[in-house]
Amino acid sequence: MADTSLSPEELSRYSRHILLRDVGGPGQQKLKAARVLCVGAGGLGSPIIEYLAAAGIGTLGLVDDDVVSLSNLQRQVVHTSANIGRLKVDSAAERVAAINPHVVVERHALRLDAGNVADIVGNYDIVVDGTDNFPTRFLIADTAYALEKPLVTAGVLEFYGSLTTLVPFRRGADGAFLPSWRCLMPREPEGTALTCAQVGILGAVVGVLGTLAACEVLKLITGVGEPLIGRLLMVDIRDMGFDVVDYERNPATVAPKLT
Amino acid sequence: MQITVKLFATFREGRFKQADRDYPIGTTVANVVDDLAIVPSEIGMIFVKGRAAEMDYVLKENDALALFPLLGGG
Repeated sequence: MADTSLSPEELSRYSRHILLRDVGGPGQQKLKAARVLCVGAGGLGSPIIEYLAAAGIGTLGLVDDDVVSLSNLQRQVVHTSANIGRLKVDSAAERVAAINPHVVVERHALRLDAGNVADIVGNYDIVVDGTDNFPTRFLIADTAYALEKPLVTAGVLEFYGSLTTLVPFRRGADGAFLPSWRCLMPREPEGTALTCAQVGILGAVVGVLGTLAACEVLKLITGVGEPLIGRLLMVDIRDMGFDVVDYERNPATVAPKLT
Repeated sequence: MQITVKLFATFREGRFKQADRDYPIGTTVANVVDDLAIVPSEIGMIFVKGRAAEMDYVLKENDALALFPLLGGG
């Protein structure tokens, strides 16, 4: 097991966490021991990566096969103009190292598919999904369920965002299993969903949703508070509305099997 | 019969956030979607009383129907 003791430098770096009731030194050590996979190093991924790095997550896996482009920089704040044309995982890894050299970054410069997703997801404790398409969301959600990995998943478009946390392999207070992604969306949408490239996205919206997703990851690791399990947060930046909608597990839900 | 309809994100634009609306017995989710001029292919999630539902679900008196657009960007 990895050494999670905190050096004098780390005690100082994380002092505001250690001061927090319910986090403290033990909570910080849990963060140091954690292995978190962030799928997508784009808009949502940017604040997720930066806040998890700053928080002292021990190992951060980054998945993205894309390169940084000029039109990314309006919202993907983990990247800089100097990194246009470079792999996003390389650009983000540099940023993580600059923020917190204690974090180990594992780069996966690839697109998740049925052939590689289980090996990658299986190597982490928690998955946070900041991808930009539904086929990958379903692939990640089904795999995380099958491998019993908690999943924090967010989506954005225009001025809006959604966020929820999924642990469908765990039982709730009533003894029943908790909802899965497919209790929200039973199947992939027909046709092609609108993308930020088609209809736009207010840059700071990904900052809001990505930061909230990072909060959910930190809560899951430290055990602080109540994660958004069985609850869907809908954010409407146009009128600054934050709605939490309860949802239930479909009784017909069965755990997916890995192919 | 009365149905509480809740709309989210882009579906609110030019419509409403929440409204109690009267529909005839036998009304399906698809009928409400059509009544509200929502493009079916833009729908991401459909909840009836907090549980995912299909377009052909036949609504009941006092059901709460929530419609969410696809938010697939990242």
